[in-house]
Amino acid sequence: MPPSSLLSFFKKLTRLLPVAVLATLVAPVFGQAKPDAGKAAAAKEGVLTLWVPKLAVQAVSNAGKDFTAKYGVEVSVQEVSFDSIRDDLKTAAPAGEGPDIIVGAHDWLGELVANGLLEPLDLGDKAAGFDPVSLKAFTYDSKVYGLPYGLEAIALIYNKELVPTPPATWEELKALAKKLQDGGKVDQGYGLHTGPADPYHTYPIFTGFGSYVFKQNPDGTYDPSDLGLDNEGGQEAMRELNSMVKAGLLRQNIGGSDIDSLFVAGKIAMVIDGPWRLPDLRKSGIKYGIAKIPTMKQQPIPFVGAQGFMVSALGKNKEVAKAFLVEFMADDASMKSIYDADPRIPAWLATQKAVTDPDIAAFAASAATGQPMPAIPQMSKVWTDWGKALNLVFQQSEDPAKAIKNAATSIRAQIKP
Amino acid sequence: MPQPPSAPKSSRSSVGGLLLRLLGLAFIDALALLLAYALVGNGLWPAAIALVVVTIAINWIFLDERLYPVRWLSPGLLMMLLMVVYPLLFTVYVALTNYGDGHLLSKEQVVRQFTTQHYQPPDAVVYQTTVYMSADGAFLLVFTDPKTNTRLAGTADEILKPIDATGDLPGALKDSTGKEYSKVEAMKTLRLLDRLTKIPFSDGTNVVQVTGMGKASQRKPAYAFDPATDQLTDNRTGVVYKPVKGTFTAPDGKTLSPGYHVMIGFENYLRVVKDPNIRSPFLRVFVWTFLFAAFSVLLTFVVGLSMAVVLNDKSLPFRGLFRTLIIIPYAIPAIISTLIWRGLLNPNYGQFSGLIKGVFGTSPQWFIDPFWAKAGILLINTWLGYPYMMLICLGALQSIPGDMFEAADIDGAGKWLQFRKLTLPLLLVSIAPLLIGTFAFNFNNFGLIEAYNKGGPPIAGEATPAGQTDILISYTFRLAFGSGAGADYGLASAIALFIFLLVGGLTMLNFRYTRQLEEVT
Repeated sequence: MPPSSLLSFFKKLTRLLPVAVLATLVAPVFGQAKPDAGKAAAAKEGVLTLWVPKLAVQAVSNAGKDFTAKYGVEVSVQEVSFDSIRDDLKTAAPAGEGPDIIVGAHDWLGELVANGLLEPLDLGDKAAGFDPVSLKAFTYDSKVYGLPYGLEAIALIYNKELVPTPPATWEELKALAKKLQDGGKVDQGYGLHTGPADPYHTYPIFTGFGSYVFKQNPDGTYDPSDLGLDNEGGQEAMRELNSMVKAGLLRQNIGGSDIDSLFVAGKIAMVIDGPWRLPDLRKSGIKYGIAKIPTMKQQPIPFVGAQGFMVSALGKNKEVAKAFLVEFMADDASMKSIYDADPRIPAWLATQKAVTDPDIAAFAASAATGQPMPAIPQMSKVWTDWGKALNLVFQQSEDPAKAIKNAATSIRAQIKP
Repeated sequence: MPQPPSAPKSSRSSVGGLLLRLLGLAFIDALALLLAYALVGNGLWPAAIALVVVTIAINWIFLDERLYPVRWLSPGLLMMLLMVVYPLLFTVYVALTNYGDGHLLSKEQVVRQFTTQHYQPPDAVVYQTTVYMSADGAFLLVFTDPKTNTRLAGTADEILKPIDATGDLPGALKDSTGKEYSKVEAMKTLRLLDRLTKIPFSDGTNVVQVTGMGKASQRKPAYAFDPATDQLTDNRTGVVYKPVKGTFTAPDGKTLSPGYHVMIGFENYLRVVKDPNIRSPFLRVFVWTFLFAAFSVLLTFVVGLSMAVVLNDKSLPFRGLFRTLIIIPYAIPAIISTLIWRGLLNPNYGQFSGLIKGVFGTSPQWFIDPFWAKAGILLINTWLGYPYMMLICLGALQSIPGDMFEAADIDGAGKWLQFRKLTLPLLLVSIAPLLIGTFAFNFNNFGLIEAYNKGGPPIAGEATPAGQTDILISYTFRLAFGSGAGADYGLASAIALFIFLLVGGLTMLNFRYTRQLEEVT
């Protein structure tokens, strides 16, 4: 055989070679794959998977270890950023990749339940151990969908060196703010998000004048057909904000991070903000105090938020997940260790009573005046237009009453299409 | 022996190269098969078939010498299929569905959620359970009714039978076929709970369902689904729900949540055209998008070219240093630059605003005034974009032959005339495609708009989520996702396709224009 034809023969042969190589490579895969695949699926079914934000990971892991020791169920605690848990669940759960339990805020309920992603929870005797407000927050369509562990609400945070005694009324707050500003001691006596506006932080001013987002029914649920943002009180709140901008008591273009840094620098004397500011305030060494939000026409009602554990309706270990939450998380030791890692107002009454931190106690006093933020799906239609109305007033480009009326009209149109 | 005529002669037919190629192919094939096997295991048949087809195509291309030129194209083609064609087809599909909040799950998932719901009739018997498990993982359960002190026992396949209710339960039991089951410790039953609750035990008339650790009760299925008529019946009320656009709806209009995603035809497209909330700002948003992209290209090009011309002058001292400094904005991530600029422009505390205030006595409202907000965005985009223009202009300038300018000098043309008549036309020929690319990029420059002012300031007196500086893509985002207003992927896809057609059309026009330009020169 001449060399050239040998080469050609070899080439022809080698075209078949990959098949042979492939067969040897793949054979073990086929040999093993079947039992392996089965094992992987079963393993997933037997492992309780939780998505937990950073601060709660340690506490949940500890409870998980006890759970594994007692029942022989493996617990896998995965750290997921709080901001992405909701969206990740919405993508992962329908694809069969989701966790069994997530940590989330109560105002996600409407959206997640409407999408069929949450499993109702029967707390049994343990229900009595929780702050009723926190359970009410996690109730949707008269079913409880979460096991709460923390509550939060905004309160007046003031700089003790500039404000010796916190103002009790809104008029006092404005007078004090003006005095401080005129004295050149501060840039702003009172800091509010004006650029972009933040309806959440502005809500107490609305409720202080008698407005509300959705009317609360006697049983604690909200009526989406009764939107109160543009009622008499709402218009008055808008006019109040408008006049504060005109009087120089509110500056334009102040965002959340501006307020944070200006308060710590002593350039803003008073803000209305929440317990999530505490770590920063403590680190800064500034002398601060926390008080109830000053009264306008009536005691302002801030939104109360609740954090808790929820069970995925598409999880593979729903029953185990429920047992884990009700038996191991609704428990003094677990709730205490979550509180230690992530100091919010405890929803577990035994832990709440044992709180010695005066800051948390002050925020708890403010939360006691609040109402849970509505978790109904209609709530999500409110923020954009409401924020736009506030922005228009802060920017002085529309009449305050007209701005909020327009916003309410648009919101109503979106709620009942 | 002669080579086949189509196979070009070269070193690539060496045995070593061939072996390497075969090994590579074998590796790819093994990987693909592994993946395909996993895909089939998850029930993703279309993906598996596509993978196999692509793998066969790769093998064919790399083994058939006649397809030699295609080998170098194939990775690019593959990437195009994967990154361009597939998402495009998927977008077209999603635009025809109601996929979004309230319709996230598939019909199968939703029907399963309803049909696995059980309710407890008021007179239901509540049992205590004891679990027995066989070696192969089957269950036999003993249900004890504490009120009447009777016991029922059985497996999933048989109807529960009464057994002796006196004394403690034995450590092992046998079913009717003689298979042996051994008792599971109460503590260990928790991990089996999810499997146990899914087993429909039956006492002949009622379903007996495990409801918790050691607990079970008589239950009835809450819903019945009939695949033949596609109807869901509520067993408690007898109400029949029919699917209407992915939601089970009763005759009186009451709907069941959750819904599932279905094809709804061209409804999303019609909404874009019909809904006044969407349509009314569309024109103004479109005009601003166009102006924004056009001015961004013009300004970055003018600034970049000027810098390039200056830096190209060999008599300039410290050229290297200047060049480095001027490229810095290009090296900083755009989002960070934008945030820094936001700070500089802040009317209360910004240095840039302070400077303007110092000189003119007043500073524009960069975030509140519609005109100045747009000016601010163009200012930042010019800052972000000119280094790129400068880089490509520098390269293009150096490729223009110098003897042309010598000839122009001899003819007595001044520098400005030379620039207009020689530099600019010659430059445009090589740079025009890049200008079109920049235009298309800015047409969809979502990041800048979002980081600058989230599309604000708002438009007064109109019920629209669009702001004064929103461009089409950010407007789409606001419509579809709002601020926590839930996601409407179907609508977003429909608008995205509109934008795709717009950008595609513009690009085509641009290409035609460029070709004319090339023909002229």
